[in-house]
Amino acid sequence: MGPLIPGGYIPMEWDSIIAIFIGIAFGFVLEASGFSSSRKLAGVFYGYDFAVLKVFFTAAAVSVIGIYYMDYLGYLDISKLYVHPTYLWGAIIGGVIMGAGFVTGGFCPGTSLCAVAIGKLDAWVYVIGIMIGVFIFSELFNLFEPIYDGYNFGNITLIDSFGWNPYWVIFVFAIIAVVAFGIADMVRKRVKSVFY
Amino acid sequence: MNTKHKANPHLYWNPYFGGFLLGIIIIFTFYLTGRGLGASGAMKSSVVTVVENVAPKHAESNSYYSQFIKEGDSPMNTWLVFEALGILIGAFISGSISGRIKWRVQHSPKITTKRRLIFALIGGILFGLGAQIARGCTSGAALSGMAVLSTGGFLTMLAIFGSAYAFAYFFRKNWI
Amino acid sequence: MDKKKTVKFLSYRYQILAATLIILAAGLVLLPKYEKQEGIRSKQLLSHAISPERYISTDDISHKLISQDPSFILVDVRDEESYNNYSLPNAINIPLSKLLDEDSLTYLNQDQFDVVFYSNDTFHADQAWMLCDRLGFKNLHVLQGGLNTWYSTIINPSKPSEAMPESDFKLYATRKAASMYFGVAYPDQNLGAELPSAPSTPKKVITVEKKKKRKAEGGC
Repeated sequence: MGPLIPGGYIPMEWDSIIAIFIGIAFGFVLEASGFSSSRKLAGVFYGYDFAVLKVFFTAAAVSVIGIYYMDYLGYLDISKLYVHPTYLWGAIIGGVIMGAGFVTGGFCPGTSLCAVAIGKLDAWVYVIGIMIGVFIFSELFNLFEPIYDGYNFGNITLIDSFGWNPYWVIFVFAIIAVVAFGIADMVRKRVKSVFY
Repeated sequence: MNTKHKANPHLYWNPYFGGFLLGIIIIFTFYLTGRGLGASGAMKSSVVTVVENVAPKHAESNSYYSQFIKEGDSPMNTWLVFEALGILIGAFISGSISGRIKWRVQHSPKITTKRRLIFALIGGILFGLGAQIARGCTSGAALSGMAVLSTGGFLTMLAIFGSAYAFAYFFRKNWI
Repeated sequence: MDKKKTVKFLSYRYQILAATLIILAAGLVLLPKYEKQEGIRSKQLLSHAISPERYISTDDISHKLISQDPSFILVDVRDEESYNNYSLPNAINIPLSKLLDEDSLTYLNQDQFDVVFYSNDTFHADQAWMLCDRLGFKNLHVLQGGLNTWYSTIINPSKPSEAMPESDFKLYATRKAASMYFGVAYPDQNLGAELPSAPSTPKKVITVEKKKKRKAEGGC
């Protein structure tokens, strides 16, 4: 079984409809967790609110554990899933630029869409900014192309790159996540509260 | 903050609960479609659509836009655009349930609205640029990548959070 | 009292949740490993293997070829040289070694056509059948007796002796007619058949619709 649409179990015409429903669930959860507030998001970098860290790492841990259990039980074939490709320097340089953008603007694209939906004007401006950023990238594509297309390692996972056992990776990841939550709570107690 | 929240009717979910649900959604997405979530792709599609309509010749000659232009089909007809529409709808539902819908600019009381908007624009430009270079944003590359243990996903996640912490000091006035 | 207990329990809720997460992750590490079985189960494979529909007789095939039945694909699993030397009309050549290549799979893994494997005997054709059936492909058949039987029944049918029942004569007549169709010349009614030359009819182009399967795609 699974994934259902690429495997032909659900006709592909449903793809877009399913996309909307998944988007609704995604948007609902993000908004309800407080990701439509840039000050809450930025809190993770100043230690006054760790919602981003908690939601992000809980989601990653739950999903990776769930996916590997489903693979083990035969409901899902991991080898058929889309693995985000690794372009070594693209990922690092792009990530650094995104990090700077995150702390400057206080949103990431998904959360800014949530904020747009509830009428935050700074999020509207932010989305326009993203579009300008994409536009700049496209216009200067020749300049960025060596990073964009270079250092391609293909659709590799940590298992391919380091030869680690995926189950141990997940176990260690879960422990890191729990430790991070503990540290986050400790840090928050020491940092002066910020009201927003 | 807790006291504030008790007085505040606009309570957010417990982050662990939100994270758990988000994880379930990611599993479900992979189970159904074999792919992860994403967000910046919708904005890229919008830009491609706008450029294609304003300057079709330019869009075709540019080697980046031309990757996304399909003959006889709008570049908007992609999975991510529909998903982004869903995000807008879902966030609107959640916001209206908790009464958070309001036109406003949220910023620290220490800075002006204008400053907040300028920084939001700069941040957006940086994020849009970075998301294209890294081929994905926090949801597309980092979150969905990590769910399948993609090396690139972990790298992007570390780079985003690492650099955000590194730059956080310089922008502290905007937030605290 | 109960309330107190609940409160006490709830004060540990995050620890409990964290422990649950770690235990679940540890469960993955501790679960017994097993080789995942790809394809259909052995029992199903057995029932397919003993099913009579698995073999298709040379007479049926010759009938289908003559009536230009479009519903099947003949697959020659011998090597290329033998294929070029002699093969059935409209057959495609997929040597056994290339059976699982991407190009071959488009022919084998589809629901539109019946696939008929053959080799000189049934040995290699059976192997091809087994491999493909295990992968869950549908509508697979093997030519009964392979090309040897094809030759001895259709191309060069043995003339029945007088004592044989009438049905045998009828069968012989059809087979002879069929062999004429496949290019065997009978200069003198029933005297020795020549070796058939390769069929001169232009090959029919078999287009297999690609299954609506695709790789998962994604990205931002």
